Amino acid sequence: MTAAEVLKPPAAPAAAARRIPAGIRLAWLHLRSRRVPAAVLALAVCGGLLHVALHWHWAFNSGPYAQQVPMIIEASAASVIAVTAHSAFGETERATGRWLPYLRLLAAIGLTGLAILALQLGAAGESLNGGIAVLARNVIGFTGLGLACSLVTGGLLAWTLLMGYLVFCQYALLEAWTAPWTWPVRPPADRGAWISASLIFTAGLLLFTIRGPRTRLSDDS
Amino acid sequence: MPLPRPARALRLEFKRNAVPYVLPLLAAVFFFDTLRTADGFPPIWTLRASTITDHMLFEFSAFAGGLAAWAGSREGRRKTVDLVATTPGPAWTRRSITLAGTLCWLLLAFLAGVAALYIQTALQATWGGPPLWPVFVGAVGVTVVTVIGFTCGVLFPGRFTAPLVAIGVLVLDQTGFREALGVSASSGTYALLSPANAPPVVDAGVYHHVPPDVSIVQVMFMGGIAVALFGVLGLAPELRQLASARGLASARAALARSGGWLLRAVVVILVACGVAASWTAFALAGTAKPDPVGGWEIPALHSAASDQPVPAIQDCRSSSGFQVCVHPAFSVYLHDVAATLGPVAAEIAGLPGAPAGAKEVASVRGGQDVQSGIAANPPVFEFTAEHVGAMLGQFNGIPDPAGWAQGFQQGLLDAFLTGRPPHPGPFPILLGPAQQAVEDALLTAVGSQPLNPAVHSAGVSAAARRFAALPASARHAWLATHLTALRAGTITLAQIP
Repeated sequence: MTAAEVLKPPAAPAAAARRIPAGIRLAWLHLRSRRVPAAVLALAVCGGLLHVALHWHWAFNSGPYAQQVPMIIEASAASVIAVTAHSAFGETERATGRWLPYLRLLAAIGLTGLAILALQLGAAGESLNGGIAVLARNVIGFTGLGLACSLVTGGLLAWTLLMGYLVFCQYALLEAWTAPWTWPVRPPADRGAWISASLIFTAGLLLFTIRGPRTRLSDDS
Repeated sequence: MPLPRPARALRLEFKRNAVPYVLPLLAAVFFFDTLRTADGFPPIWTLRASTITDHMLFEFSAFAGGLAAWAGSREGRRKTVDLVATTPGPAWTRRSITLAGTLCWLLLAFLAGVAALYIQTALQATWGGPPLWPVFVGAVGVTVVTVIGFTCGVLFPGRFTAPLVAIGVLVLDQTGFREALGVSASSGTYALLSPANAPPVVDAGVYHHVPPDVSIVQVMFMGGIAVALFGVLGLAPELRQLASARGLASARAALARSGGWLLRAVVVILVACGVAASWTAFALAGTAKPDPVGGWEIPALHSAASDQPVPAIQDCRSSSGFQVCVHPAFSVYLHDVAATLGPVAAEIAGLPGAPAGAKEVASVRGGQDVQSGIAANPPVFEFTAEHVGAMLGQFNGIPDPAGWAQGFQQGLLDAFLTGRPPHPGPFPILLGPAQQAVEDALLTAVGSQPLNPAVHSAGVSAAARRFAALPASARHAWLATHLTALRAGTITLAQIP
């Protein structure tokens, strides 16, 4: 036996021999740390819930009430996205490199797209008030609001502002408000509503990308 | 003297609870949704109080469910379940304190909202007092949503639990509301268990008491669910172990560790009582039937005393011999009604069957809407807060003063020109062409516009213009001669001068 044999590194296991690109591994770890796989499942549940609600006529077919249940489910998809903003690592993660903002951006955009897709699939074959355009507009607007809220409350409580705005929109819906900033209650062709929702989404996404959600040493309360 | 241990723990829970941070948001939503909606209603206590279950409960449900789930998932979210399991008190006690802290904050906020709503109503109402049953239903609604959220948080701790519970509660609320809107005796009455419903008729609780039957059943149903779930919380650690237990032996071992016999007995009693209360309420809701005054009664709970009319002396106003009376709850409208009906009454004064006054009556009788008409002896135009002629919801505010006044005038002339008495049932067929022309002419003569001139034929409009152009004395004389034939529908347009 020679010293060379002792110093020789052991053979790498077969699984580790397959080299995963560092970028993909980083992205995957980022997504897992935000519970994105569970969020995707939750978005699928939201799509299923929308399908059930439309199929079994939990919502009204026409009139101001017709938008209520779809709007609630769109807000639920957005709140799921907002909650994924939270990281268990908190502030320490921010010292690890320059890729974090890009990862946040890609995760939020990807989840928003997935949410629209899941809800669209849920509404397929059913009569959705306002159609896919209203659905997409509401999801991006609500998501922007949730992401913006995460800067103040942290990711885990980012759904609270969404709930408040959702309840307010129920009132605006019944009172037939026409202001652009009540975009969830406006018809699909309303340009002001689209601009408002897009602005909220852009602002929320940018702030979330650059600053990230509020972090604390513990998720107190 | 130091506080006892549970009180100290509760004080700590009050301090660390998340609900106070959300109160400003909840207050803003309450202002817009509940308070502004209520402000749009006339100041009738029952009507305003309906916003507690229709609007306020919706707002509170979103936050109560989510925040309770947030509080309930605290130990699981922080991965401290094993750590706190070593504390001497049972887990149920520890969780009860967390639940109590959350519930107290939410109920305090809810009661503060009710106080704001009732103070606003008290400053505007002219009759009646605050109904308490909607407050009980709302408080129990907040409680059950809190317990549901807390239980979900304990059993499924995770970051998605709180928002998903909040959304689930809102969907449940809206589904119940949807079903409650379509409830009828023939389609089944279980949807009455939903606290959210359409606003009642504008004079609900004014002429007759609102029976508490449905409210009692709702409180029983929701309270039963809350009690049963609170019992389930006592077994939460064991349920979680059961969920992860592999094999029957592990399951038995998990159950054997589930506290002492006393705890298990209390849990079983709570769950049994809760299920029994909810099941009883469910069965009772199925026996509901419409009552004669527009509500629902449940025979097993109904008290005959609540069917008695509510005594009240009407507020009256007389101008140029035409007396207008309304219920004191609607006295805010008295001046407007008298000013509106006075000129039309002067146009037809002295004619056969012309009313000597107008009087508001209950809007529902025998389970049917009452339509306005002229009572025979003495001849008085009777209208309701809901129906005046073809108009609906006349005492539901005055969004368009001109249209509102014309609705009253047209209702009076409809009844006069057809000789129709007040009656329960659907609104009858509209006027004939000659009657319509005379009505339009009389409205024009008092300075009003006919409500729907576009739907009249050219012949009707021309006859109306001719008749309106006559001097008042000529119109009066012609009507005195031809009124019987006009009511019988035998006058043609060409015969109108």
